[in-house]
Amino acid sequence: MKPTKALLARSVWKGPNIVPLPIIKSKPGERTPPIKTQARAATILPNFVGLKFQVHNGKIYHDVTITEEMVGHKLGEFSP
Amino acid sequence: MVFILGNNFSEQRLVLKTLQGFYGIGPQISRHLLARLHIHPTARLSSLNSQTVLDINAELASMKIENDLRRELRENITRLRDMGTYRGRRHAMGMPVRGQRTRTQTATASKFNRVERLG
Repeated sequence: MKPTKALLARSVWKGPNIVPLPIIKSKPGERTPPIKTQARAATILPNFVGLKFQVHNGKIYHDVTITEEMVGHKLGEFSP
Repeated sequence: MVFILGNNFSEQRLVLKTLQGFYGIGPQISRHLLARLHIHPTARLSSLNSQTVLDINAELASMKIENDLRRELRENITRLRDMGTYRGRRHAMGMPVRGQRTRTQTATASKFNRVERLG
């Protein structure tokens, strides 16, 4: 009933929280190491889908594989 | 007796309060519905003619209420759970989801928070 409620979380003019992460495009058949990061507040963008992250939770790094439905959430939500 | 959305209601009931009985309709939406169908807020079910009752039924059928709404709520929680988010885990544990304290006063959370939430 309140379609604007999703927008109340963050000002629109700011856009999503885009953090520069070291994302390397991998060639097929080549294994890339997971991206180790402490940026829990980084918004998951559509080009992250399929990548592997290691997200810090303050103590250890949790392995997170990004799927399509995670887009729009933050990295920290998947590393409790 | 008046039939609305498969339920039987006594004729003495207020239309406003009868609509609020459905899950997903509160005071505000009930008032909006009555205004759209030109029914006075103090009208009772006995004062409605059969065409108005049909109009109410048609309006309610087009809205997402009752079991459709409950199912949506459950799907949202299941989606969080399947993704492996913190919020989904807290729902499954029956604990507060949005960072409230857990030392005391978690009765509401343990009552409502679960993956198969009742609504």
